[in-house]
Amino acid sequence: MASLTGSGAPPAASVPVAPLTASPGGGERRTRPLSRSFMVHAFILAILVIYAAPMIGVALTSLQSNAEIAARGVWHIPESASLANFGEVLANTPLPRYLLNSFLVTLPATFFSVLGGVLLGYVFSQFRFPFAELLFLIVIAGMFFPPQAMLIPLFRLFNSPIEIAGFQVLPALYDTVYPMIIIHVALGLAITTLLLRNFMSALPSGLREAAIVDGAGEWSVLFRVILPLLLPALAVLATLQFTWIWNDFLWPLVLTRSEEAKTVMAGINAMKGQYNVAWASQAAMAVIASIPTIVIFVLFQRYFIAGLTMGSVKE
Amino acid sequence: MTRGSRLSLVLMAAGPLAFYAIFVLLPLAQSLQISTSEWNGLGEPVFVGLDNYTRALNDPLFIGAFRNTALWLAVAVTVPTVLGLLLAVLLDRPLRASRVYKSAFYMPITLSLVVVGQVWIWIYQPDWGLLNSVLTALGLEDFTRAWLGDPQTSLAAVIVAWCWQQTALSLILYLAALTTIPRDLLEAAAIDGATAWQQFRRIIVPLLRPASVVVISLAVINTLKGFDIVFMLTKGGPFHTSDNLAMFMYSETFFKYRVGYGAAIATALFILAIIVIVIYFRQARASERIYG
Repeated sequence: MASLTGSGAPPAASVPVAPLTASPGGGERRTRPLSRSFMVHAFILAILVIYAAPMIGVALTSLQSNAEIAARGVWHIPESASLANFGEVLANTPLPRYLLNSFLVTLPATFFSVLGGVLLGYVFSQFRFPFAELLFLIVIAGMFFPPQAMLIPLFRLFNSPIEIAGFQVLPALYDTVYPMIIIHVALGLAITTLLLRNFMSALPSGLREAAIVDGAGEWSVLFRVILPLLLPALAVLATLQFTWIWNDFLWPLVLTRSEEAKTVMAGINAMKGQYNVAWASQAAMAVIASIPTIVIFVLFQRYFIAGLTMGSVKE
Repeated sequence: MTRGSRLSLVLMAAGPLAFYAIFVLLPLAQSLQISTSEWNGLGEPVFVGLDNYTRALNDPLFIGAFRNTALWLAVAVTVPTVLGLLLAVLLDRPLRASRVYKSAFYMPITLSLVVVGQVWIWIYQPDWGLLNSVLTALGLEDFTRAWLGDPQTSLAAVIVAWCWQQTALSLILYLAALTTIPRDLLEAAAIDGATAWQQFRRIIVPLLRPASVVVISLAVINTLKGFDIVFMLTKGGPFHTSDNLAMFMYSETFFKYRVGYGAAIATALFILAIIVIVIYFRQARASERIYG
């Protein structure tokens, strides 16, 4: 998935909690309300079934046996549902290791990209200095860079030992989780800086001055005074970053080879050949790999949506 | 500002900016440099000037990938945008279960394209895939085919799968924007006799213009980055019929070890992205002036 920017609404106000009743469908006419709302429900449900068919299909498949699918195909209501496939893929494939790797990449990358955004957001929102605007634009333009434009040099970089002045300080990081963490932090700075800078610009302007007058340094202003006010923005960014990084495929595809380093998305792809006709096992793997982001989405939907819709480039 | 203050700020900005410079900006520049060389990934690159670029312009595979990308862009800015808008207008009403409906429609955006690709493979599967099963059930056996393996349909099949997920994003952005349209406005229009279509065309669509700018920009940029879904569904095949620039760049670099050429294709993608960035930033400023 891509990085995202959003419309111009200020962060806190753009959380769409309760929809307004802007129904273009004809206002309060003298139609019988019951049958009318029944029709609307039926219509929405019909579209939903078509739209959600792909997800329903994978869920149904994961509950069937490979034999049943071999006989009848993926697309039917299962005769008997069981969770056996989930146990099977967790026990007999490297999936648990892939999941662990995904967490080892996603959690630190999320944390450090948000931390970097907090630092840069503070600097860009509270101070004017030469070229600040240009620098800010260069950082947030990173949201739009296609990863292909950095792919080859980063692949080369992580394939060679890290040397400083001719001395090898680190072995090549290829096929470890570290390059993915580093890259996602660097690429994530664009969106975290944009949103946090906008969020901090919207805070009352006297906040920092008052704390400085009271003798606080910049670090304690940021981490003691400002940061507690940023919690909603941090939640927004944490959910977004977690989702993008977890779902990423290109970087682990290019930068890993072994079980010990592959994230779950690259792992599923790697096992595709081996499980070529074991459709139920493949579906169970797809479901398991999606659970973390779905859980995050269900728990923090409000923040996730707010993150997608806020931001924009305020000058 | 005190000296201590200034030092703190420099320290705060230095870490993340250095990180960004080393792992984003420097690779961009190096990629440009590699694009002027002939290199198989091992050994030393040989400087060849702009040869890779002139080669691209004469390479039917590059032209094909470029054309496919352009076609993809044309679909990307229209189909998910319109579908998302229509769904948003449909769902933006006080229904008992509207939160449940919305969550269900949002769900694809949380899925990895690896999973999305997997699901669509089963939809397009020739023997028992959903699409062919439905066509057969409707008595349209003549239209069934191996959607991903048929050069006539491979590109369209990939784009449809991609649009499916992109529609969820467009829906989310439009639904949020719809909540900012004052209800009074639509009620007043209804009292004045405006039909539902007129309200939609004359009030809703114009007021959603800033949201549309965002939706379309994201659709364009996600198209340019669009590699995962192609890789999962077809790897650009059969016979390169579903290649886009991102996939073509990957296969030239990592399947054929033409690294310099791959870097030149990446540059073409980057230039297209820059054009979008410039248009987007100008639009973002302009709409801010208008909608303030």
